[in-house]
Amino acid sequence: MHEVSIIQSVVEIVTNKAIENKFTKVNKVSLKIGELSGVMTQSLNFAFKSCIMDTMLEGSTLEIQKVKAVAECIDCMQQFPIDHFNKLCPKCNKFSSNIISGYELYINTIEGD
Amino acid sequence: MSEIRVVTNILQTNDEITAKNKKILDEKGIYVINLMSSPGSGKTSILERIIAKLKNDINIAVIEGDIYTTKDAQRIEAQGVPVIQINTGGACHLDAEMIKGALNSLILDKVDLLVIENVGNLVCPAEFEIGEDIKISVLSTTEGNDKPLKYPLMFEKSGAIILNKLDLIEYTDFDKIEFYKDIKSLNANADTFETSCVKNQGIDEICVWLKSKIQNKKMTVK
Repeated sequence: MHEVSIIQSVVEIVTNKAIENKFTKVNKVSLKIGELSGVMTQSLNFAFKSCIMDTMLEGSTLEIQKVKAVAECIDCMQQFPIDHFNKLCPKCNKFSSNIISGYELYINTIEGD
Repeated sequence: MSEIRVVTNILQTNDEITAKNKKILDEKGIYVINLMSSPGSGKTSILERIIAKLKNDINIAVIEGDIYTTKDAQRIEAQGVPVIQINTGGACHLDAEMIKGALNSLILDKVDLLVIENVGNLVCPAEFEIGEDIKISVLSTTEGNDKPLKYPLMFEKSGAIILNKLDLIEYTDFDKIEFYKDIKSLNANADTFETSCVKNQGIDEICVWLKSKIQNKKMTVK
C-alpha cells in the first residue's frame, strides 16, 4: 500500500502550491501516472479520499491520466510502445531498456479558488 | 476558479534525499546494493554467506530494513560486520529519508560495500530509489516461476536476479526455462545467478561478480 505514501506526498505538494498561489481551496488535482509505475488507480482514489480530510484539498476530485509506456531503440532511434513483458524494437528485434515514458508519477495541474 | 500547472514529481522529496545519499556514497566510492525480495526467499541467508566469503578482503556494512524485529540484524551482527537496523513500524518499504538517518550512524570512511536489505515485499520497495548503485532481487524456487510476471516492476528494475533454494527445486514444479524466458522479456540485461544457501552453492560466482563491481566503483574516486 505505498499508494498512501504517494498520496500523502501529493497532499503536501498541492497544499504548498495552493498557498503559493493564494488559493483558499483546491477543487481538482490532476495526476499523470505511467503505465509501468506499478501504482493502482483504485488504491490512489481510495487513499486520496482518506488523506484529504481536514486539508485544503477536502472535497476535491482526483483525475488520473495514464501515460503510455514507450521505449526508444538506441540503435535505430525508433520509438515504440512497450509493456512489462515486451520491450523488443519492432525494427531491430533488440531488447531496449531505454524507456522514455511509462514510469511517470507526477502532479500535472491543480484547480482552485 | 483558476488552474495552475504544477508538473512536479510526486516522489520529489524522496528523490532529492536519494540524490544527497548518493552523493555521500559516491564520494567515498562505496558500492551500494538495494537487496529486495518477498519475505522468506533467502535475502539474509545469501547475505550471510556473501559476508562470510568476502569480509576478509572487503569492508562491508549492512542496513537492515524490517517492519518490527531485529532478527535479521542480529544474524548479520554475528558475522562481525557493522549493521544498522531500521524498523519501519508498519511501512512496507524503505525510503531515502530512512537511509539518510542510517548513513549518519555508520562510519563510512572504511566501507567498500554497503548492502541495504529492504523489507520483504515483492511490490513497494521497487518504487523507491534510496541511493543504490544496483537493485538485486531474489526469488526462491518454492515461490514458483510465475512470480516475475506477477510482480514485474521489481524484476524489471533489477540489475541482477538471484534464483535461490536451488536444492529444493526438485520438490517443486518450478520451471527454469519459463523463468528465464520471463526474466528475459522483462529485463534482458539483468545478470542472473543460482544459489543454494544450505549447500553453499553459487555464492562464489556472486562474490567474483561483486568484487569487480566494487572495484569499478572504487576507481571512480581515484
